[in-house]
Amino acid sequence: MIVTELAIGAGVALVCGLDRVAALQVMISRPIVAAPLAGWLLGDVGIGLEIGLMVELLWLARLPVGAAIPPDDTQVAIAGTVLAVSLGQVLGQSGLEYQLLCLLITIPLGKFGQFFDRFARQYNGRNLALSDSYLEAGQFRAIEQAHRMGICCFALASLGTYFVIICGGLLMIPLLAPLLLPSLEATAQWLRIALPLVGIAVILGTINVSRSLTLFGASFGMAFLLMWLV
Amino acid sequence: MQSLGKLRLLQVWLRLLLLQGSWNFERLQGGGWFYAMVPVLRTLYGEKELRRIAREHVGYFNTHPYLAPSVAGAVIRIELERAAGREPEIGIAEFKEMVAAPYAAVGDALFWGGLRPLAAGISLLLASKGLAIAPIVFLLLFNALPLWFRIVGFLSGYELGVKSVEFLQHRNLPDLAIRTKETSVVLLGGVAAFMVFQLLNIEKKPLWLGFLAVPAVLLCAYLAGRGISTLMLVLLSAGLIMLCSLFSADVAVWLP
Repeated sequence: MIVTELAIGAGVALVCGLDRVAALQVMISRPIVAAPLAGWLLGDVGIGLEIGLMVELLWLARLPVGAAIPPDDTQVAIAGTVLAVSLGQVLGQSGLEYQLLCLLITIPLGKFGQFFDRFARQYNGRNLALSDSYLEAGQFRAIEQAHRMGICCFALASLGTYFVIICGGLLMIPLLAPLLLPSLEATAQWLRIALPLVGIAVILGTINVSRSLTLFGASFGMAFLLMWLV
Repeated sequence: MQSLGKLRLLQVWLRLLLLQGSWNFERLQGGGWFYAMVPVLRTLYGEKELRRIAREHVGYFNTHPYLAPSVAGAVIRIELERAAGREPEIGIAEFKEMVAAPYAAVGDALFWGGLRPLAAGISLLLASKGLAIAPIVFLLLFNALPLWFRIVGFLSGYELGVKSVEFLQHRNLPDLAIRTKETSVVLLGGVAAFMVFQLLNIEKKPLWLGFLAVPAVLLCAYLAGRGISTLMLVLLSAGLIMLCSLFSADVAVWLP
């Protein structure tokens, strides 16, 4: 059963991973979309929504510009959801604290996404370096084929990241759950908003807007007061 | 002057959706650009000419993927002029070089820096209320503008050629990017306030504590600005919260 669920997650990881750089870029790769999609396919959209909510803002400030490669929040969100749903059933765990445990283990593993992504780009560079000789020989289809191979390479990089995160989660979560779940139980609601708040802070710290801190403080204060008083 | 059939144009537009498929550190989107343009080149030129012309499309290219169709449309128009034997007012390599970097800069600021946090903020509000439509709202909010630029930019590029630059200039995108970013910051303030308010209600804590979130966020923003990584901030804040929970009973005595 868990193998089927991991395979469904791999399918989502592949499609959403391609959307991240190689194809379409309609943002189904964002955690707020990818995690609920994985959760929905696994039969629990609520878990996906929670995980998407917590991961979405974390690396949003890291723009996929030029050669910059942000950590793979797409695969973190998908693998986190798959682990929360499928491994949770095996371990008999559920609830926000267990979802948080899955996330706290998968978030650092998102760094592996940078490694796989860089490898894919280097492979593409070597592959396309042959374009000039293909051009000399008039083999235009070979250049097109090299481009298609690049897409396959990005797909493999996404799958590689997904499987590293899943394997890390499968190894660590059963070991750490008995140790960390009691303290996570007491702090789950606080951690649930801490992750988006850290994401917002990183956006504020890096966004190129004059008076961004003033705007943030004013809108926070106004909204909070309104909710308090009304 | 020769014109291209709708199907050929559609083929190029669809291939532009895979522009970054072979992204690499040497030519960036160069492979994807050639992949998108080759159907047009095959239509316009014979085998011998094609080898010579294709050289101009194989090298380095990098712009924002949502504005690349605008560049492609204009380049197709220039290619049509050249194939008809007219000397274009600007060479293809020069045109690409002239527009690619500014389009990339404005696209990054508008779509990645402004629109994405804005759409994310609105959908997070819905997600924090447990509404499953949050992802759909995100996709609709985010994709409307990029899709418009991808379609209309391509068609205007094809119609106007080099003058399509004016089409984008009239849209005043840098100003729009700044306004979108400012709106995002204001919205994220509201989102943060809502989440903190919700938490304090669930935990049954005094509401004035919510204002402490502002200095905490600003401190994290300062640290992020000083180069502390997101991962480090996540681990630090998670560790701090778990540590505080150990002493929560003692702290609770001081709270009203």
